[in-house]
Amino acid sequence: MDQTLKISDLNVQFYTRRGIYRALNGVDLSLKQGEIFGIAGESGCGKTTMGLTIIGLLPVNAAVTDGQAMFCGERDLIASFTKAGAGETDKFNLRKSEAVVKKVNKELADVRGSRISMVFQDPMTSLNPVLQVGFQIAETVLTHQPRSLAERKLARARATPEDTEQIVNLLKEGADEQAITKYAESKGLQGIETQVLNVWRRNDLGEAKKEKIILSLHSEKLGSFEKIVLESVEKGTSMPGWMKIPGISRAAKNVLLKEGYTKAIELLSMLEVPNPDKVVRMYPHELSGGMRQRIVIAIALANNPDLVILDEPTSALDVTVQAQILELTRHLKQRFNTSFIFISHDLSVLSEVCDRIGIMYAGTMVEVAPTDEIFNNPIHPYTRMLTRAIPRIEGSEIQGVGGTVPDMRKVPLGCTFNPRCPDATEQCRTKKPEMVEVEGGHFVACYT
Amino acid sequence: MRLWVYVIRRLLLLIPTLIGLTFIVFILSHVSGTNIILSEYINPRLTGAARTLLIQKLTSEFHLNQPIYVQYFYWLYQILQGNWGVTNTPIFSGSVTTAITLFFPNTIMIALVASILIWVIGVPLGVYSAVNRDSPGDHALRIGSFTLYAMPIYLIGVVLIILVGVYLKILPFSGVVNPVLVSALPWYVNGISYPTHIILIDAIIHGAWGVAWDAFLHLILPSVTLALAIIASMIRILRSSMLEVLDQDYIRLARSKGTPEQSVINLHARKNALLPVITLFGYTVAGLLGGVVVVETIFDFPGIGYWTTQALLVSDVGGIMASALLFGLVLVFANLIVDLIYAFVDPRIRY
Amino acid sequence: MSEAELRAKRWENTKLSLSVFFANKAAVIGLVIVMAYVVIALIDQVYPQLIGITSAGTLVPNFFSPAPSPPSLTHPFGTTYPGVDLFTSIIKAIRIDLAYSILVVAIGAAVGSIIGVISATVGGLMDEIVMRITDIFFSIPYLVLALAVGFILGRTLLNMSLALAIVWWPLYARYTRSQTLSTKEFTFVEAARASGVGRLKIMFKHILPNTLPPVFIQISLDLGSIMVIFSTLAFIGFITNASIPELGYLTSLGLGYVQTAPWAVIFPGVAITLFALAVNLMGDGLRDVIDPRRRS
Repeated sequence: MDQTLKISDLNVQFYTRRGIYRALNGVDLSLKQGEIFGIAGESGCGKTTMGLTIIGLLPVNAAVTDGQAMFCGERDLIASFTKAGAGETDKFNLRKSEAVVKKVNKELADVRGSRISMVFQDPMTSLNPVLQVGFQIAETVLTHQPRSLAERKLARARATPEDTEQIVNLLKEGADEQAITKYAESKGLQGIETQVLNVWRRNDLGEAKKEKIILSLHSEKLGSFEKIVLESVEKGTSMPGWMKIPGISRAAKNVLLKEGYTKAIELLSMLEVPNPDKVVRMYPHELSGGMRQRIVIAIALANNPDLVILDEPTSALDVTVQAQILELTRHLKQRFNTSFIFISHDLSVLSEVCDRIGIMYAGTMVEVAPTDEIFNNPIHPYTRMLTRAIPRIEGSEIQGVGGTVPDMRKVPLGCTFNPRCPDATEQCRTKKPEMVEVEGGHFVACYT
Repeated sequence: MRLWVYVIRRLLLLIPTLIGLTFIVFILSHVSGTNIILSEYINPRLTGAARTLLIQKLTSEFHLNQPIYVQYFYWLYQILQGNWGVTNTPIFSGSVTTAITLFFPNTIMIALVASILIWVIGVPLGVYSAVNRDSPGDHALRIGSFTLYAMPIYLIGVVLIILVGVYLKILPFSGVVNPVLVSALPWYVNGISYPTHIILIDAIIHGAWGVAWDAFLHLILPSVTLALAIIASMIRILRSSMLEVLDQDYIRLARSKGTPEQSVINLHARKNALLPVITLFGYTVAGLLGGVVVVETIFDFPGIGYWTTQALLVSDVGGIMASALLFGLVLVFANLIVDLIYAFVDPRIRY
Repeated sequence: MSEAELRAKRWENTKLSLSVFFANKAAVIGLVIVMAYVVIALIDQVYPQLIGITSAGTLVPNFFSPAPSPPSLTHPFGTTYPGVDLFTSIIKAIRIDLAYSILVVAIGAAVGSIIGVISATVGGLMDEIVMRITDIFFSIPYLVLALAVGFILGRTLLNMSLALAIVWWPLYARYTRSQTLSTKEFTFVEAARASGVGRLKIMFKHILPNTLPPVFIQISLDLGSIMVIFSTLAFIGFITNASIPELGYLTSLGLGYVQTAPWAVIFPGVAITLFALAVNLMGDGLRDVIDPRRRS
């Protein structure tokens, strides 16, 4: 699977009391596996809408009038949307939209959180204030991969001291993930490899300490009820009848939830959160913005998704925390080969992490190129203005971009940028430019 | 652990509130002079030498010769001792504390049944209304609750009487039990049942199922009236609160995690939506107390409310002041419980 | 933006608000009904002969046929005990109820709002004290206070209104206080203060205009609630004067005949429910307009 995501000709509009806002007008995007793709643009250019469309979380007054979003070549994520909103209509039917939203939610529930996840802009409001953060992380694992939780705990229970010693030896010899997994499977200890590797790869502990931790991962005691629950979940069979009784099913869920908390602690230590075992029992308002964002990221990564959408993850945080989050993103890309879409209005932030950047303006993609190309060789007039507007250490003069984003109710004809473009020609004002490949991998939609 | 700190602080706050309440009641009874205390504590039927003697006794006990703020403490002392005065109403004549023990249990029954109805019916309806916005069910609910909200509680009771008592003739709407059924029972004397003074429970204790059923039927209309009055406002609040919650970022995040919709609503949304409902419930208890008075009056249900109205109509001072104090106390403690529940549910409040 | 442009923009906004309000059919109906009640009350006040009311302000009993009679030509709504014509009585009662409700809300809102705003602006110890006082008032059920006040001062409509106003002002005090507190945080207030504008002036020129719109909505909604409570108190027999036209009192008159003459309780009941309903619809409509979160 080479292309994680391929979006073609996406058109999205919003119905409001003041008119119809055309947020996205024919956007294309293709995302390769394991790459970090940045989307840049001013406020209101539609980048957040893009992100929301991909994961299907558009508000009720939105309508997808055209387009396709092929995920891993398997399914079109927005099929239900487009079917309902086919063709532009001026009338807004609340009931119909709500039905569509409900349908999409149901359809995408299995991919959301497991193969695609999203990190939102404001960490202060993203977490449920009345639930512990550990729970909010554990919940997503429980929803999508309860079996993995069962396996983990059972593996720890079944492992013998000899097993853990052998694993440590393997690690010291430099065995990679595959080798450890094979060993685990051979001993019937599936589920222990992730735990072992997560500890081994931590940066904040010394090797001796890591060894000690791994060596202790054996012969965990299991209550009899726990054992029954875990084993039936592990086998993947549907729950025995007696477990469906309300009180008992709750207890069964709690068994898995406890293990979920352990996994949450693991994730948090990977994200370099101090004292993760205390943090998981805290509530969101007890944590700082940077910590909360890390929790949200942990939730997003818990099930090793194929695609993570980050919507301005650093805009609400201060610069030091921003740097940490960026470092984290780079780290994660290395580790998991996940694909990322990184949305931001700050080009300098994007330059730090992204492999490729797409510049959006007023609902269309105007330029897409590898990061260096965007900065060294910007072709589109808008991109050029943006790069000139970035403050540099050398202290050259900043040139702002004149004018404002057009009113999206009345999108300008032709190239959307033409009112502000200093090089606009007649053709620019009438016909919309197509994206053409100028050089290898460098696409522009412009006539100049 | 912080929770305990909050609880203790809240309990400490109780003291000034209670002092304030009792002081206000006391002051009210003094606006027209010292006679009120005497009226409160003297049975009007008492005359002649006994009366004069009693006046003297009271004057010294309550230190009526001293300035008001001193009197307050003596009065408070009497109250704390359980001496709340005398009441003289058509329904009952005697010491206030006896009256309370006789009538309060009935009121508790109504309040209890009504509360159960409110939570069992009101909450699911409110949640349903918000989740299925603008569906036909939601519209029907909104119209219904709107109308119910606009109706004075006495009208709800009256309409129920007309519908159920007169036209359909299936439920009784007067009194606590059919007098014929209880005329010869040993544990029911002079309109009072023993041991708990609640006919329904006593009947169950004594195994008189026929009486128990009849008492239960009599309980239905008053409780339902009370419940409906409160459900009306609860549905409105819960609906708007739920709608607001469903709009929040964290709900969007829960959906982005792929949480099943049922969990999103019942786990993530509902808890947050109930918070404003809980806060407002304290204020609703005030309405409940007022409602009880009306309901008992309409349905001839011998509870505290009925006694209060009687006291008002015959200008029975002792009764009025005592019931003022009683209602005030109930409300203060209800507010306390609400605050504690809220602290329990909302982790943010503990800091 | 120039003056003309500003005015044009404001006009646009007003037009948008009005269109939002009038798009809400229910709210419009509410408004119409409320207006109707006000008109009725005014007619009864100023020129009652217009609709055949000869003795405004009191009920006219007919002891020759005291039992309630059903609606007929002479008595469009029927009569209630003791022989009182319901149609005219309801009209008279509307005036009384409306007048006293407005009185209660006006006093409560005025006193409460002023206290609330001052308390929030001044802050500190005074604010704390005001908060505690409102707490104490919240602990007193309105019914009980009304009973106590009524008993002491005399059981008249006016005293009933007074009692209700006493119970009601803390609500406004709290409400305006929280509104003021949040407006106080706004930077434009800080800016005003930084430029040396006096505190009182800040209070009246900057803070108050921003807190007023929600308060107005609250007032209009309260009119309905207060009227309902008012009639409830009258229903249980608060007033001693047996011939005051009041909707709750009228309902209580018919209570004894509820099995044989349901119209005697229905008509006054509907009269008051209709008003409360209309007020709520109107208030909800207003809230939709003021609330910045307007949905499409």
